[in-house]
Amino acid sequence: MEKYNLSYWGTIVKTIATKLALVTGLCLNLGFSMISTASAETKVGLLLPYTGTYAALGNAITEGFELAIEEAGREDEFTVIVEDSEMKPPVGLAKARKLVYQDEVDVIAGVVSSGVLGAMRDFIHQSQVPLIVANAGNNLATGENCSPYIVRVSFSNGQINRPMGTWLAENGVKTIYTLAPDYAAGHQMIDAFTKAFTAAGGEVIGSEFTPFGQTKDFGPYLTNAQASGADGIFVFYAGGEAINFVKQYGSFDIKTPLYGSGFLTSPLYVEAEGEAAIGVRASLHYIPTLDTPENKAFIKAFQAKYNAMPSEYAVQGYDAALALMAAVDNGGVDRATLAAQLPRVSYVGPRGPLEIDPATNNIVQNIYIYDTVMENGVLTQKMIDTVPSVRDDAAGCQM
Amino acid sequence: MFYQTKFRSITLIAALIFLASYASFGSYFAREIVVEIIILAILAISLDLCAGFGGMVSLCHGAIMGVAAYAFAIMSAKLGWPLFPSALIGLLAAVVVSGLVGWVTARTNGIFFIMATLAFGQMAYTFFFKSRWLGGDDGMGGISRFDLSAIGLEMNNSLTFTYLGLGVLLLAYGLTAMVMRSGFGRTLSGIHVNEDRMKALGVNTAAHRAKAMAFSGFIAGLAGLIAAQHTLYISPELLIWTTSGEALIVVILGGLGTLVGPVIGAILLILMKHEISDYTDYWHAFIGLVLIFTVLAGGRGVFGQIEYWLNSLRSRHHDTDNHQTAGKPQGGDHA
Amino acid sequence: MDLSFWILQFLNAMQYSMLLFLLSIGLTVIFGLLHFVNLAHASLYMMGAYIGISVAALTGSFWAAFFLAPVIVTLIGAMLYFTLIDRMRTAGPMNQVLVTFGLIFIFLDLVRMGWGDIALGLDGPQSLSGTTRFLGVDYPAYRLFIIALGLGVMTTMWFILSRTQIGVMIRASVENTNMAAAMGINVSTLFFLVFCFGCALAGLAGVAAAPILSATTTMGITILIPTLIVVVIGGLGSLEGAIAGSIIIGFMETFGAVMIPSFSAVLTYVLLAVVLIWRPQGLIPARG
Repeated sequence: MEKYNLSYWGTIVKTIATKLALVTGLCLNLGFSMISTASAETKVGLLLPYTGTYAALGNAITEGFELAIEEAGREDEFTVIVEDSEMKPPVGLAKARKLVYQDEVDVIAGVVSSGVLGAMRDFIHQSQVPLIVANAGNNLATGENCSPYIVRVSFSNGQINRPMGTWLAENGVKTIYTLAPDYAAGHQMIDAFTKAFTAAGGEVIGSEFTPFGQTKDFGPYLTNAQASGADGIFVFYAGGEAINFVKQYGSFDIKTPLYGSGFLTSPLYVEAEGEAAIGVRASLHYIPTLDTPENKAFIKAFQAKYNAMPSEYAVQGYDAALALMAAVDNGGVDRATLAAQLPRVSYVGPRGPLEIDPATNNIVQNIYIYDTVMENGVLTQKMIDTVPSVRDDAAGCQM
Repeated sequence: MFYQTKFRSITLIAALIFLASYASFGSYFAREIVVEIIILAILAISLDLCAGFGGMVSLCHGAIMGVAAYAFAIMSAKLGWPLFPSALIGLLAAVVVSGLVGWVTARTNGIFFIMATLAFGQMAYTFFFKSRWLGGDDGMGGISRFDLSAIGLEMNNSLTFTYLGLGVLLLAYGLTAMVMRSGFGRTLSGIHVNEDRMKALGVNTAAHRAKAMAFSGFIAGLAGLIAAQHTLYISPELLIWTTSGEALIVVILGGLGTLVGPVIGAILLILMKHEISDYTDYWHAFIGLVLIFTVLAGGRGVFGQIEYWLNSLRSRHHDTDNHQTAGKPQGGDHA
Repeated sequence: MDLSFWILQFLNAMQYSMLLFLLSIGLTVIFGLLHFVNLAHASLYMMGAYIGISVAALTGSFWAAFFLAPVIVTLIGAMLYFTLIDRMRTAGPMNQVLVTFGLIFIFLDLVRMGWGDIALGLDGPQSLSGTTRFLGVDYPAYRLFIIALGLGVMTTMWFILSRTQIGVMIRASVENTNMAAAMGINVSTLFFLVFCFGCALAGLAGVAAAPILSATTTMGITILIPTLIVVVIGGLGSLEGAIAGSIIIGFMETFGAVMIPSFSAVLTYVLLAVVLIWRPQGLIPARG
């Protein structure tokens, strides 16, 4: 019969004891690291991607947000708790729950991805925590799926593109070929443009959606677009895809003019596009060359602090903080009062005049039509026209 | 061959107790982490069955999990069916899809098998990504958790949900262990070691592989159901190959072919990720270093390596005990 | 659609195929010869692009970047070889997958730390900017350059493998490593040389692609799957397989995009599944 030696069991026990000690230590460590020290008046949860393809946007929005609070000298009044959504809906939702249940924030700001926003929507609505959306443009969030607790200070996909559709049709462009990545936002952007363009008398003679995230080579699509003989090509692309698209458009020396929603030539990355971006006409809710005192002051402050030109993402973060501070000033001390005050915010910011539409809780703002031009060796934006106070339809929103 | 050794049982129980305590006494977020671990651990167990024992390394298990989650969500949220039957449909969908994939790829091996499963996984992903009626890449909400109030369990309470999740993890492990110890499991290991010989013995290896994939699909489906009920929202992300890639990493990190290893691997990876990301955004690099280190340290995965050391300690011990004469080389000290 | 349209799309397809070829030939020879699953090949491609951008920024010359980036990437590859890869050669595919995944993660964050998260562009050389007249159409000169580059590498590889001593040694070692060693071939030096050459090609592909596709932190992971598909469809370890695979995938994706855009995303995967089910060893495997 086998006899198990004492030292055999000893080894087992030692191994398990060490393991348990290790993990208990880890437990305590993690537990402690999650206790938030609360001493300021308003707790804000900043939920943005800090890793992944859109980390640059997350950082830009954070920079704008922090600048606003610093400028106002109100760092003491706000405790900002930062969480990485990783652009993944389950992760974003888990972090949102942590911010609400564990950190007990008064308000959440941020959200770049419409997927994350969609995952969070029911939770936000049910836990009655105000959310200031600083990017995600899904139309439904201020349409069918709107909520009195969700306020958007960035843009809706339709809002950016409708004005361009109308403007192009009214300015001599008769036929258009559209291109966009094949995902929800791409479809929403193009749908909004097409409806407005057709309503104003134009005709979309061809439309293609490129595989999302995979397409790096737009050669085949550009060739198709050119061959269609349209008066213009209208596209929605952002980030790395925008850079590639514009560069490749330039390299093919395509004669058809290129139009787009402004993410195509966003100040955040237009430099990477080089000369190919010159002459591209787009619509966006903010351009750094806006000639207003508010914008000039903003640019000066941003450049002083970050040594770079701000992009529309930075402005969205900036305005999110401005909206929050305005709500606090009007009596927002807890979740309920903040939720009540946020939709009532209105002021003139770097983008121009803005307010929140009580019917949808979406921002009402100017949309600017601009060309990308080269000045003093640097790519910059030249304003062509302003479409004032663009407001979304209620589109099924009931609050 | 799979043996449910004492050491494995003890480690598993210890892991479950650790997770339960962490969830109970840790912060709110601790429960989120534990559920994340549970889902990944169950997925990894299902993958270990195919890959560790069957030699079929699959990159589509994340997709199978996603199929179960979507089937469940479609039946319950979209078509309004009651929850339990919807869950069964979800599991059935996972079984059918994985069984089909297993059957169709029965002739492929090694890297080719991996790529074939990748292809199917990506096809499933593209299908859900492009389905507007399922929300496309924005995903689908409106999912509810099981109503277990009849037996006094409030599923919307995160702690209860976590405990139940741990129960499902134990169940997944138990079922897989049972199957692997049975004749079916031994045949599967046999096919992995020498498929031609098994064929010569009259085994229909293609059918066997398909069945193994189908069963592993069932386990992966359990993970999918938990994932859907946890966030009450699903998106096509679950189906991207990187989810399966993460499960594979966890299996290899913990110990391929040990069934307990994947659980340990999941705990290690998720905890490491959260701990490191508290300090820096560049946590990928740290995880990468850990992975490389694990391989350099012996290549059996963390749990596998510990098991190996214990076994060699034990066998050296018995030799001294039984006064085995020198000159007989002890196998097992080679790196 | 007139003829010029089809010629344009044909050129688009060729250009994409050549890019895939540059990446896959390195990977397939490493697979076939060293039996090493080198997923980090895609990371070296990414490093080639980023290093190229830095060299171009420092020197103001695209050509400097074009020649230096592959060299630097080869040095990185050699370093990896001595510290990690050589040890891992006999470690079995699972551990190789784990190690190279680890490398992918590390390179990803190294690039983020060194170059930031924003996508970076690289301007092609002045001499190749704009379009030229080719086959009756105006086509971007730089893309023609890539086609020429790919064909050049193809021809060079073919020449090396079939007409030189070292080529014979490589082919012998791919077919039967032990026999080749028994015949006196210095297999380990061969492994090292081939590995370095593969890394050089990856770096070259990266810097060559950068003017068209720009450099992003996820460019490696994104191109990894198409490259693996090309290698697997074509058959591991064979030049003919890499050529066949890249042309098939390149043309299918291009013309798929042109003609059935809504399905083009899945087309590659469907093809992969079909080939693997019909010919589980790939189309033209190096070993019979």
